[in-house]
Amino acid sequence: MAEVLNANPTIRNASDLPSRRRQAHAQPSSTTPKGLFSSIVPPSAYLPDPFSPSSSSASDQDDADIEPIDEQEIYDLISPISDPEHPLTLGSLSVVNLPDIFLTPTFPERGSLSPLTTLTVLVTPTITHCSLATVIGLGVRVRLEQALPPRFRVDVRIKEGTHSTAEQVNRQLGDKERVAAALENGTLMGVLRKMLEGCESGAV
Amino acid sequence: MPSASSLPQVSHLATLEPSSPSRAWLTAAHPTLPLLATCSSDKTVRIYSLTSFTLLSTITGGHKRSIRTCAWKPNLKGESVLATGSFDASVGIWRRYDNDMNPKPKDVLSGLDFDARDKAIASGQMGDEHAEEDEEDDDEWRFAIVLDGHESEVKSVAWSSGGNLLATCSRDKSVWIWEEVGDDDYETIAVMQEHEGDVKCVAWHPEEELLASASYDDDVRLWREDVDDWGCCGVLRGHGSTVWCVGWEGVVPRVLGNVEDGQKDTKERWVKRREASGPRLMSCSDDLSIRVWRRRPKEKVQQSRLSIIRSGTSEEDWVEEGQLPKAHSRPIYAIAWSKSGRVVSTGGDGAVVIYEERWKKAGGNAESKVTEAHEGGMGGAEVIGESKLDGAEPMEEVTNDTGSTSEADGQQGKQAEMEETPDATEWVVIAQIEGAHGVFEVNHVAWAPRRDKNGGSNVEQEELIVTTGDDGTVKVWTLDV
Repeated sequence: MAEVLNANPTIRNASDLPSRRRQAHAQPSSTTPKGLFSSIVPPSAYLPDPFSPSSSSASDQDDADIEPIDEQEIYDLISPISDPEHPLTLGSLSVVNLPDIFLTPTFPERGSLSPLTTLTVLVTPTITHCSLATVIGLGVRVRLEQALPPRFRVDVRIKEGTHSTAEQVNRQLGDKERVAAALENGTLMGVLRKMLEGCESGAV
Repeated sequence: MPSASSLPQVSHLATLEPSSPSRAWLTAAHPTLPLLATCSSDKTVRIYSLTSFTLLSTITGGHKRSIRTCAWKPNLKGESVLATGSFDASVGIWRRYDNDMNPKPKDVLSGLDFDARDKAIASGQMGDEHAEEDEEDDDEWRFAIVLDGHESEVKSVAWSSGGNLLATCSRDKSVWIWEEVGDDDYETIAVMQEHEGDVKCVAWHPEEELLASASYDDDVRLWREDVDDWGCCGVLRGHGSTVWCVGWEGVVPRVLGNVEDGQKDTKERWVKRREASGPRLMSCSDDLSIRVWRRRPKEKVQQSRLSIIRSGTSEEDWVEEGQLPKAHSRPIYAIAWSKSGRVVSTGGDGAVVIYEERWKKAGGNAESKVTEAHEGGMGGAEVIGESKLDGAEPMEEVTNDTGSTSEADGQQGKQAEMEETPDATEWVVIAQIEGAHGVFEVNHVAWAPRRDKNGGSNVEQEELIVTTGDDGTVKVWTLDV
């Protein structure tokens, strides 16, 4: 990145970022901005999946009831991703935002018969012509695909009206074959690996 | 469960063992032998038996990245040739003598006991007759040649029906045609770059040297040789997003069901029109639709004003005949048209859907879920055609040039009459598998003749469905109709 595209991004304080931590339970032992779930995400493993009979939430004392993976947990997975050109996280730059994360059943008409869940994440690039939007989106998609169980269908898109070539970027991010090929591209993977360093199971 | 015996049932017959540890992309059935080739992101191709459903051999070492696609060369005797396309931008040609491990076609037809044969292979008793002539590499796949030229990931490869031409396509937006000019010697005879995005799939017409390609630019293009040069001879517009796959109808159309008395004439006209057009083409897309395309017989093209402007006579005039019922909720990655006339599709939603084309009933059909097929003038094609016209391709008129336009031009007669044939058929979903590979996406689906019973002798009767998924597995399904 020879040229910094956005030299003065708006940065949010870690304490302003959405977290379940402040809601009811104090967790003095943890001050990392990675969120509650990072402590129970084993490296390079899927999140405990309530649909999987073997999943255990023993360490998850705050959520005694097993509940489906929610938007906050998705946020906690992707907010620590580093921006490719700033030493800042996508959460602190408001590139990813809790209200822009949507979990819906892939087959609503089939109810609990189908475990498939569609996860849509809308990414807000820091500037409307940011050429790194594709890389950021790819980082988010890769992070989620590696951390979530395979029953999730991950759709990462640019939030409407926030980028000049959003449609092109969305097409690329939605193309499974292109994404798969990108993950075999050493140069690109170097960039992604760096972005995901701050994530608990960031090794890709 | 419904007791009606008329309801088709899809049943899981086998899962090929052992499977790939990572995403498998595509499985191709051998043209004559009971073999399947599965390409995987682990850079290998696994060759499975269609009689025992187990792994026979693994092709490794040729590609540096995922193997995305493969295709068996048709019309060979005594040897099998497999072309592979990889994300490493190269195409590999692999050869192997059809010896003990691969039963010869003759044996298949004579109803040999494969279990006994497999045991004989395992104990090393077979293959003596070949030992003398092929002392080396007898049971090895040999990397014969690498075809370099594409600049980025190769997405699809396909042999022409005669086997002499190989088509390849890539994210570099190009379609290449290679001709085998000698032993392990291939020559590039065309590089066609009209597509404006990744070319996802190539497929040859079952009889003619006519190639169809599907692209990220939402178009399907048709290619053929005109005098000396290969070129684009048609653009099929209508899809609203990436076209993932194209598949051809068999040479003989099979429409199922009975025709009512009053409809006999319609049927005859339909059959006549189909004979004049030849095999149809089907395409599936990220836009969740599957479209059927039909050629308008040649004479008409030559009469049209457009063809007078273009001196060439190779241009094809194709129309969207209709769409299959919408059955998928995520991108449709693959479709395949069987010899029996049925169509199967699959995609990101993990569902496998089977369709049948039936003669339409006269007074509307209550059970029909079919999206009506309309000639030329319907919405999608027009809108997209308009926004994408760039003037350079007169063929773009293909989707807009309706039968009625020709009439206005005074081009009446038999051709126009045929075009006016009402839609005599409709497509119906006859069976569906939800979550064919559990929660995983399914990347590919194909038909293969059943070979695991009666010594493989009922090849003509029964067709299997072969699915390939993100979980690395290949599953085989039967369809009982």
